[in-house]
Amino acid sequence: MKNFIYKSGMLALFAATVLTSCDPEIDGASPSKGEADFTKYVAVGNSLTAGYSDGGLYREGQLNSYPSILAEQFKLAGGGEFTQPLFTEAQKNGSGYLSLTGFDASGLPILKPVTTELAVRGMGADNKTLLYTEYLEPVNNLGVPGIKMIDVSTAGYGYNNPIAFNPYYERLLPNDVTPSGALRPYVATAAATQPTFFTMWLGNNDVLSYATSGGIAAISDLDKFKTNLDAMVNALVGANNAKGAIINIPDVTGVPFFTTKATATLIQMAAAANTKLYIVGSDNVTRVATTADYVLLTSTVGTPEQTPVGTIPHGFSPYNPLRNNEVLDNTEVATAQAATANFNNALAAAAQAKGLALVNMNTFFNSVKMKDNKPQLTINNIAYSPAFISGNLFSLDGVHLTPRGNAIVANEIIRNINATYKANIPTVDETKYRAVLFP
Amino acid sequence: MKSKILALLGGTLLSGVAMAGGYQVNLAGQRQIGMGHTGTGLALDNASIFFNPGAMSHLRENGVTIGGSAIFSKIAYRALEPGNTEARTDNPAGTPFQVYGVYGITDKLKAGIGVYTPFGSTVKWGNEWSGRFGLEQLKLSAVYIQPTLSYKITEKLGVGAGLTYVLGSVNLQRSIPVQDQQGNYGHAELDGDATGVGYNVGVYFAPTEKISLGLSYRSQVDVNVEEGDATFTVPASLDARFPDTKFEATLPLPATLTLGIGIKPTDKLTLAIDVNRVEWSAYKSLRFDYEEPVSRPAPEGLVSENARNYEDSYIYRIGAEYKATDALALRAGAYYDSSPVQDGYLTPETPDADARGVSVGLGYNLSEKLSLDASFLYINKKERTDLSDKSGGIGGTYKAVAYIPGIGLNYKF
Repeated sequence: MKNFIYKSGMLALFAATVLTSCDPEIDGASPSKGEADFTKYVAVGNSLTAGYSDGGLYREGQLNSYPSILAEQFKLAGGGEFTQPLFTEAQKNGSGYLSLTGFDASGLPILKPVTTELAVRGMGADNKTLLYTEYLEPVNNLGVPGIKMIDVSTAGYGYNNPIAFNPYYERLLPNDVTPSGALRPYVATAAATQPTFFTMWLGNNDVLSYATSGGIAAISDLDKFKTNLDAMVNALVGANNAKGAIINIPDVTGVPFFTTKATATLIQMAAAANTKLYIVGSDNVTRVATTADYVLLTSTVGTPEQTPVGTIPHGFSPYNPLRNNEVLDNTEVATAQAATANFNNALAAAAQAKGLALVNMNTFFNSVKMKDNKPQLTINNIAYSPAFISGNLFSLDGVHLTPRGNAIVANEIIRNINATYKANIPTVDETKYRAVLFP
Repeated sequence: MKSKILALLGGTLLSGVAMAGGYQVNLAGQRQIGMGHTGTGLALDNASIFFNPGAMSHLRENGVTIGGSAIFSKIAYRALEPGNTEARTDNPAGTPFQVYGVYGITDKLKAGIGVYTPFGSTVKWGNEWSGRFGLEQLKLSAVYIQPTLSYKITEKLGVGAGLTYVLGSVNLQRSIPVQDQQGNYGHAELDGDATGVGYNVGVYFAPTEKISLGLSYRSQVDVNVEEGDATFTVPASLDARFPDTKFEATLPLPATLTLGIGIKPTDKLTLAIDVNRVEWSAYKSLRFDYEEPVSRPAPEGLVSENARNYEDSYIYRIGAEYKATDALALRAGAYYDSSPVQDGYLTPETPDADARGVSVGLGYNLSEKLSLDASFLYINKKERTDLSDKSGGIGGTYKAVAYIPGIGLNYKF
């Protein structure tokens, strides 16, 4: 009898071992390139494209740029190698960046600049712009922090000269002072890459520099914007008749840089202190703020300051109003939004003219704005919103994305590419990418 | 004492992964498993304590039955298109068990006690998969202890009733989407013991030699975790927002109404049909009430609740037993189990779908008094794709299979 039990026991064990090897399988569609050709993918754009994050360009941000994420996915459907102008491991902190070191007593984040292992190679000829370690090999990611659409045709935009220049473009250009060397305009660099597929996310700074300066810096001229846009598209489509995606410009009011120091909250705080929130408006007149005005993340609102009538929290007195450059007031918001709409119309027209995918990031970022204080986007049980730090999308500078934000943006781009080119590029698991790191 | 019993029962003999609808585990008797888990309309053996207390009075001998199964289950996951992220559970083998003892006090009155595990779930997705903020792993176990009386009113009619005392435990772990300087995600663990009380009643009616009927009702049992431990591991700067605290939760183990029919066309052949109605609509939400606010300030932070809104479901079973020789019985059965989980409510803890089960079994008389039953059940759940947007679940496609060998010993006296 013992033998019988032993035998049947062994039989059951054997059967179990055999059968557990028959695991369930779920068949999914195979990756495919559709009408697109990802052999040589090139990304053009500004800081968002470069992987700028936490107020700086550094290696980790570069490695997690949305173009880098896209390129990895394109490889599943015939995509080639994708080279980025990475800072080396020894100089991994690049330009330096902000890190979160804790929260103060009132729960506000304490941000500290990282200043070691930088890639600074010296001071520029203008005596104010730092130079970064060069990267002279051909690259696929041409993201240049700070660049505007109206800059792309400017010869010498990346030339180390005594007036002004862009150090992130400078580090990519040869040093010989010729039209094809240090003086080469961005559009020519883009054209020389001869991509088979491209993404272009340009134009943000044409309105964002106005907005982040509180309406001080100029908004780009629309005609110049259009001219340069056409030049860029022609350069990229080129002789290869390359396919690509044009990504448009999000609304400034969906960016934590403008929403974190929420005017509604500040007005309540002022009311609680039996006063009001005062600002200097775009007309240089001091007035009471309304919820249609946006206080910038960099504003020192609420900090006690000396005034002729005593120490007063900054902004909480007509004698100590928020300065014009601390606030994007209602008129300036309208101006920025009108300019964004104009630029986006131009981008849409350019995409349509060439049959390119148009990624409506404006709509996407509007859709993730909080409603009734509740996040509107949840992926894999994580809530996303434009809230500073807790929203997971935006990095510590309140304008640029976290690696996770880049992954989510990359997935949004992939969906548009799939739809336009009948491709099936898999989206990425965004949980593999980090959001803000806490101490 | 209570936790000692649980450590003994729940620790060494884990209840199985949820392989029936929801987190029900229908593995209550080896002979019945071989027959598609039918038996409510038959007075088969001591497992009538579970299947139909009314049939217990019609058992011919006193006896003790001990049995157990091993659940080898795997669930595959694939993210919603065009995502291609995949995951697979690494579930430990579940080991639901059953112990029954029946003793005739008089010719008509029998007393019995059963210990069995009709609910439970051990699902382990791990902390790498894309859905880890929904669930890393869930271990649910419920051990039912059921003293039972059954009375034979006539040779054709029997009634029975049992009181069920339920010892349960729950352990739920998930990642928290906050990261430390090294990028490690936070971790939440909810752990608690629970008890509950219910009943199991049944009627057995055998109008002829060839036909018998049974109707049984196992009541809903609400197992209530009163003082569970909620433990959070997060970066130091967020410690104050995630205090280790106590929680309270109630999980309904739903009522099951079963109608069973037994048919004996010949002396050697027994056929059985069971239809279960499982009142899953009792499971409306999974709610944890914390003693201190977690993640968000009070009052929002005091409660974590996700909708479940299960629907009542039906299971259709058929089974057969053939006595090949005096000593050997061969069994087979099949069932179809409709999922209680509505579209939009799929979760990784019970990624449920309509399921098909087929079983085989054999019985062998080792002696006059001792017999052995072995069973094997294969469960195949339909591949199911769901957005999981109403349950706080993880959207995607799930597919589950399970292989369940089981063995039992039956001693008559």
